Amino acid sequence: MADIKKDVLEIVSMVVEKDAKEIPLDAHLIQDVGADSMMALEILAALEKKYRIVIPEDKLKEMTTVNKIIAMVETAKKR
Amino acid sequence: MNKILETEDIKKLIPQRYPFLMLDRVIEASPEKVVAIKNVSINESYFSGHFPDQKVMPGVLMIEAMAQAGIILYKQKFQNDNLLYLVSVKSRFFSPVVPGDQLRIEVTSMKMLSKMGIFKAETKVGDKKIAEAEIAFGSQEARSGL
Repeated sequence: MADIKKDVLEIVSMVVEKDAKEIPLDAHLIQDVGADSMMALEILAALEKKYRIVIPEDKLKEMTTVNKIIAMVETAKKR
Repeated sequence: MNKILETEDIKKLIPQRYPFLMLDRVIEASPEKVVAIKNVSINESYFSGHFPDQKVMPGVLMIEAMAQAGIILYKQKFQNDNLLYLVSVKSRFFSPVVPGDQLRIEVTSMKMLSKMGIFKAETKVGDKKIAEAEIAFGSQEARSGL
């Protein structure tokens, strides 16, 4: 669990080009952190590769905060 | 199961035209992978200035060729007329391309959605790796919000 959090934050931080410290776990990635939908896609592709999971297209809309992404990865891993 | 596309078939899938149609033939096409060929001729107009005394294909045009192969890849999964814009390119070049070279461009899907996608691309001349890239693209709609 702690690892997922660290890894997700690392991926998000790399894609949005901001230090992980500047990304609060509940901050809205588009409204507060400055990401856009294309960055969300890059995050999604990186997560799929790292965890060997498949995240369906409609989940992209739900990837609004780091915490929500962590929850989504955990659910996908259980499947 | 190889699906060969000649120039007229390619023109049905991608909107680029002379002098910017950067693929001559597609020798393999599936929703997971596309392999395309680009023959680099001494008659390419950019060689007169790039460079007058040493002909080298501009790296940006290799990116364009890889991006066009990516559109073919997208069209294997989605049949629509969305105009696709380049969003991000991470690339590395290993060796120069000169007149007479034949580029073999291989693109594989990382994630293809209806309005955007990411794919990996690799260009070779013979067995030699020339360039690799990770390219993201999207329609105008995709850019303007989720």
